[in-house]
Amino acid sequence: MTTTVVIIIGFLIYVGLYFTYGKKIERDVVRASDEIETPSKRLYDGIDYVPAHKAVLFGHHFASIAGAGPLVGPAMAMCWGWLPGLLWVWFGNVLIGSVHDYLALMASVRYDGKSVQFVATDLISKRTGTAFYWIVFFLLILVVAAFANVIATIFVKTPEISGASIYMTVAAIILGILIYRVNMNLAAATIIGIVLMSIAIWMSTFLPVPASYETWMVVLFIYIIIAAAIPVNVLLQPRDYLNSFLLYFGIAIGFVAAIVTFRGFEIPAASTFSPILLGGKPTPFWPAIPLVIACGSLSGFHSLVASGTSSKQLSKESDGLFVGYGAMFTEGFLSTLIICAIGGFGYTAIQNAHAAQAAAAAAKAAADATAAGAAAVPPLALNLDNWGALYTKVSTGLKLDPANMIIQCFADMVAASFLAFIPTKLVKIIAGLWISAFALTTLDTTNRLARYCLVEMLAPLKNTAEAAYGFFTNRWTASLIPAAIGIYLAWSKQFTILWPSFSAANQLIASIALMTGAAYAAKKLKSKFAVMAVAPAWFLWLTVTCAIVWFMAVVMPGAIAKAAGPGWTVQIIMGIMLLLNVLFIVDFIKSRKRGDDA
Amino acid sequence: MSGVCRFFYTQQKESMGTSFFHTIGRIFADIGTAHREKVIALTSVELNELENIFALLLLGSFVGFPAPPTFLSVELLPFMEREMAVLHQRAGDASDMLAEMVGTLGID
Repeated sequence: MTTTVVIIIGFLIYVGLYFTYGKKIERDVVRASDEIETPSKRLYDGIDYVPAHKAVLFGHHFASIAGAGPLVGPAMAMCWGWLPGLLWVWFGNVLIGSVHDYLALMASVRYDGKSVQFVATDLISKRTGTAFYWIVFFLLILVVAAFANVIATIFVKTPEISGASIYMTVAAIILGILIYRVNMNLAAATIIGIVLMSIAIWMSTFLPVPASYETWMVVLFIYIIIAAAIPVNVLLQPRDYLNSFLLYFGIAIGFVAAIVTFRGFEIPAASTFSPILLGGKPTPFWPAIPLVIACGSLSGFHSLVASGTSSKQLSKESDGLFVGYGAMFTEGFLSTLIICAIGGFGYTAIQNAHAAQAAAAAAKAAADATAAGAAAVPPLALNLDNWGALYTKVSTGLKLDPANMIIQCFADMVAASFLAFIPTKLVKIIAGLWISAFALTTLDTTNRLARYCLVEMLAPLKNTAEAAYGFFTNRWTASLIPAAIGIYLAWSKQFTILWPSFSAANQLIASIALMTGAAYAAKKLKSKFAVMAVAPAWFLWLTVTCAIVWFMAVVMPGAIAKAAGPGWTVQIIMGIMLLLNVLFIVDFIKSRKRGDDA
Repeated sequence: MSGVCRFFYTQQKESMGTSFFHTIGRIFADIGTAHREKVIALTSVELNELENIFALLLLGSFVGFPAPPTFLSVELLPFMEREMAVLHQRAGDASDMLAEMVGTLGID
């Protein structure tokens, strides 16, 4: 199997199932009709409710849902071999993830542009609507933890990327000044911004910024607090704008390289059902796969994005499939690209890293003949037969954790194609910047969102405990709480605990949103094909619940033993989310009974 | 006859080819538009809030909000019909902001 074949098969699967499975859902489940006026026309106000062309809306929607998530998850899933993760990215995406995004969008459109949270409150219960705030708040804390860890490990391994991130931040601030203060023409400012970004990447090659992991934790903590306090047009917005160019450039060269490389996969198609992965424990493919691969296949955030802004601008109902379903397919395609890169070049990257480590140890031993403790590096233990047992341990030991593995393999894939004229060091910096820039933008926004969630969650205290309410919703307290807890968790460096915790929270929202969409299809639309929504909804809920229970019972005790503070913090958060999940399903079943009785 | 058919076939093929490239160009143009609009998305949210505050200051006396003299608000009312409608719509949306914030901030 080669990268070229996988990319083409992936493309054909997505396109083929879009026009078959997707169209069937549109026709028979949602029953989209252009005769029904969408809120953008019915409630048109020229400001918030404005119809947009479907390609414009697709661009908006895809840019909002694309991030570091679809890249890192598939890289972790390589321990199962390349095929299981790929099948989840393809069929999990088509049958569950895209259905989830599309149903959330269309349910929102039919509810006058209200969010999936509002629809859940109406169809299921008020408690379900409140649960969204709680789960999103915990999700934001875990996002800070997981993404701060990802950023810091990239920065420690490749100081050029940390340099590029810092210089790109400066470039973004300058771009913001040009657009909003100088009022420069946008096209001209964009060209200057891209030039500045290129200069930032070039400067990083000879002006890296090395620092320790702990130093980056402190820097990121301060960064989160400051970035959340300054106006959005100073940093967040211009950097988000520059990130999109990185995204398109990365997708373009990655896609071209994967197609023309014709590289055979060098890692096993399937290793074992339960390789060693999360918390150093055997991790069964089911139910743990949603805890590993999130955004490339399924992500709860997407239901909020779809029902937040996209639904208010959908011009006609038939555009919904292209925007909701199609954008998620594109995200899955991005994950396919990463699987191709690691499948084709991952083992070579590990072997090269091991050889470099052995050479460095030998050089050190030769230089310091009196160093009795300079132990020789043992031969590489990882091979295709013990891939499941050793992949995570060996790759992490060689500083090829998921994010760094992506960077290395992406650079190797580009170097193996006709794009080899681009210096490998430069491609690595661009790939690293791609991941870290999106992750930094996410850190930027978490605190803003967390403050809003805290205000809503603590609303019952407003009259009963005014002082406590005022303290917790104060702008600095509300910013400090998620940032402090998130960085505290990230300090433990337990990526194989932090990432699945974040994924669990994300998939929990997806599970609630998909159940809401399924309830809408069954109760309101009364479609006889509602099973196409209900069946994946129940499968997802069951999978996520079992995954969380397994994670808390099997993986977390080991994490708590290693680091009690962060371990118990994550365990408590997971416990509260599990409780909310149980309450949700009780309310869901009650709402179905109410519907049947009516 | 075969020449006429060939002519129409060529014409159709050319128009299909032109239409295909036109469509591709249109798609890229529209994605570019979305991209440019994303630059101002967050600033427009802040602008919306300033507009809300302005409308409340001007028309707040109608809802018991301490505001400029009522005669001033009544004078401006005929010109504020659209703003009143938008304000009314936004008041309804104000309790459902989570998804809009997630979408605008691009948290993912």
